[in-house]
Amino acid sequence: MRSANRSDGRDGLPAFFWAAAPFVVLILLWQLVVELFDVSPLVFPSVPAVLRAGLDGLADGSLAAHVGASLLRVATGTALAVLVAVPLGMAMGTQRGIAAFFTPLLRFFSVLAGIAWIPIATLWFGYGFGAIVFVIFNAVFFVVTYNTVLGVSTIPIELRRAAASLGAARLAIVREVLLPGALPNIVTGIRTGLGFAWRGLIAAEMIATSTGLGYMLFLARDFYRTEVIVLGMILVGAIWLALDRLLLAPLERRTIERWGLVRPT
Amino acid sequence: MKELVVENLSKVYFDPRLGERVTALDGVSLRITPGEFVAVAGPSGCGKTTLLNLIAGFLEPTSGRILLDGREIDGPGPDRGVVFQSYALFPWKTVLENVAFGPRMRGLPRAECEARARRWLELVGLGHVANRYPRELSGGMQQRVGVVRALANEPEILLMDEPFAAVDAQTRMTLQEELARIFEERRPTIFFITHDVNEAVFLADRVLVLSKGRLREEIPVPIPRPRRWAALVENDSFKALVGRVLQAVRTA
Amino acid sequence: MGPGPPDVTALERLLGLWLRAAERWRILATLGPFVPLLLLWWAVAAIELFPPAFFPGPLEVARRALELAWKGILGAYLEDSLIRLLVGAAAGIAVGLPLGLLLGLSDRAHRVLWPLVLFFQAIGDIAWLPILIVWFGFGLGTMTFVIVYTVMFPVLMNTALGVRSIPEVLPRAAASLGASRARILSEVVLPGALPNIITGLRNGLGFGWRALVAAEIIVGTSGIGFMMFDARRAGSVTEVVVGLAVLGIVWSIVDSWILAPLEKATGERWGLVAR
Repeated sequence: MRSANRSDGRDGLPAFFWAAAPFVVLILLWQLVVELFDVSPLVFPSVPAVLRAGLDGLADGSLAAHVGASLLRVATGTALAVLVAVPLGMAMGTQRGIAAFFTPLLRFFSVLAGIAWIPIATLWFGYGFGAIVFVIFNAVFFVVTYNTVLGVSTIPIELRRAAASLGAARLAIVREVLLPGALPNIVTGIRTGLGFAWRGLIAAEMIATSTGLGYMLFLARDFYRTEVIVLGMILVGAIWLALDRLLLAPLERRTIERWGLVRPT
Repeated sequence: MKELVVENLSKVYFDPRLGERVTALDGVSLRITPGEFVAVAGPSGCGKTTLLNLIAGFLEPTSGRILLDGREIDGPGPDRGVVFQSYALFPWKTVLENVAFGPRMRGLPRAECEARARRWLELVGLGHVANRYPRELSGGMQQRVGVVRALANEPEILLMDEPFAAVDAQTRMTLQEELARIFEERRPTIFFITHDVNEAVFLADRVLVLSKGRLREEIPVPIPRPRRWAALVENDSFKALVGRVLQAVRTA
Repeated sequence: MGPGPPDVTALERLLGLWLRAAERWRILATLGPFVPLLLLWWAVAAIELFPPAFFPGPLEVARRALELAWKGILGAYLEDSLIRLLVGAAAGIAVGLPLGLLLGLSDRAHRVLWPLVLFFQAIGDIAWLPILIVWFGFGLGTMTFVIVYTVMFPVLMNTALGVRSIPEVLPRAAASLGASRARILSEVVLPGALPNIITGLRNGLGFGWRALVAAEIIVGTSGIGFMMFDARRAGSVTEVVVGLAVLGIVWSIVDSWILAPLEKATGERWGLVAR
């Protein structure tokens, strides 16, 4: 129930404050609990310990290396998946029969997206970059293909015909009609797929590599370095939040607002 | 301007659900001379939309030929502009971008395309909505844009598929008069599909009656132009012609 | 854009037969596409395009699945996984639903807690595993926590969303008809938010299922995920593929036969369009 006088800027404070304040309170509470109950650093770290771990990681460059490795894997796997999935989805989506035929297959493999592929990926590609990129590719590929097919097949055939009768060649139809028409679905697919991929990445890095955020987390566990674990968790959350809220969600909202919602019937 | 000739055209579909062939069009022949307005009237399912889709090149005939200026057509092309019942405006393009689409596909420079699109929009009094998106316009306005988009591409013939069927009765009459005015001023060649007998007689020089995939009758409309509803509603020869076409549609 | 051929070809006849059959038995439309896939898989395995040790054929996988089922391993592991999911999901709902109601009903709680919710949701189940192992060791506690955590957030967030999207007039109408606060909650707020709650449940279980597999792979001592990783350690690709197939089939059944119809039913009954 949204009350009528709900006003976010009532106190004249910027929205940033309202987003940051709960975290400040949480961090203070955390430190208070650790000090009051004298929590062992083997169970949960203190705030300064996590800060120190972060600064140490920054100083010796290991933090940047882990984060960089993770991001590179996500970027590679996602880029490959999107590059293959979008053209394939378009080719399938333009033929109604073919689209209907492949939909159950795509749904099935979307269900398996990501983590479930880790064991077989490590068998096929060995431990390392290849296996992890494969897991991310899988998480993104099927979801994006499925959504592209969905997007293209909801474009009214009249729009394709109109473009053709105005002199558009095949390639121009793809660029001017199919791509913009399916874009809202494609972006939704990428957002969902990346969500699975990010989880899959962390899981895969715990098992199958020697760099990356997931590895950093899992290695720290071996030495009971809880401050490094908590630092890693914060980074995993913050990076995903930034990626999702600052990049993917606005992109999705913009494409849907601009042309996704209203389609000629 | 070029002549459109349809020779002994047939279209047979395979319906996978029924598992059998369905004849949509059966040996249709017709000829449209440059500057002529030809309407095809008939009940739904008579094959009139199939005929238009064949001429537009969206479908391929089972047998027979379609010639434009003596050359057989090959798929859709900018020489045959199409106006759709559902408007088929690109929702992610502004009105101006929609109208400039055809010229742009011909490879004209962007500035020239937009100038031409703007000129056409002004011509029909739509200059003020050039930068709006189609969804922000009423159905009648959208279809005006649809007509202008087809005209701005300067096709040899305009193919119109029940273009005014989806707008309200009041707007429909306005749009019909506008189309009549454009036709009187510029004399494009128009092939017009409708199930509305009044509309067919009001607009066309010639009405073809189609039924069960065959051409049943051809009725010339010798009513002088300009044609306006106010003058024609009570006109006896108009009423007589409407009656004749209606009779032909019913008995066909 | 492709024009149809002039005559009824054998291919068209086949297509026609297929469409009519698929319309009568809907299960065919779902399962049919897997037939060519299985054939392709079989063919690729049969010509040994990849070494058989890396790429087992469907027959081999089926035989191994039957063996595992016969020995009772497959059933026991599947049971373990599903029970963990059920227990975790029930707990996740028990925590997520009241919290979601709170965040939906109170603007103040929403403003203060929503950023935290977004952040902790973003950390994701799997990143918790290392510290959970430190706390609970390799075992049930860790896995239960992960699933509860994963299921909780989608339920919480969708419940709050659902409550906040109930038109203001409905609770007011109920209040003016003499309903108490508790009655408004049970008669207006909960039913109004139910479609969203079910959507959250569906998403949450979907994520929870994946998290469970990950947890079983990393910390497990039983379950389908553990079976897959155990097989991987032993280098048995066949068993890994068995696990993959079982995961996909079980979840497809649960999702499309239980969760999706449930979501559709509530969405339709309340006249809302489920997205």
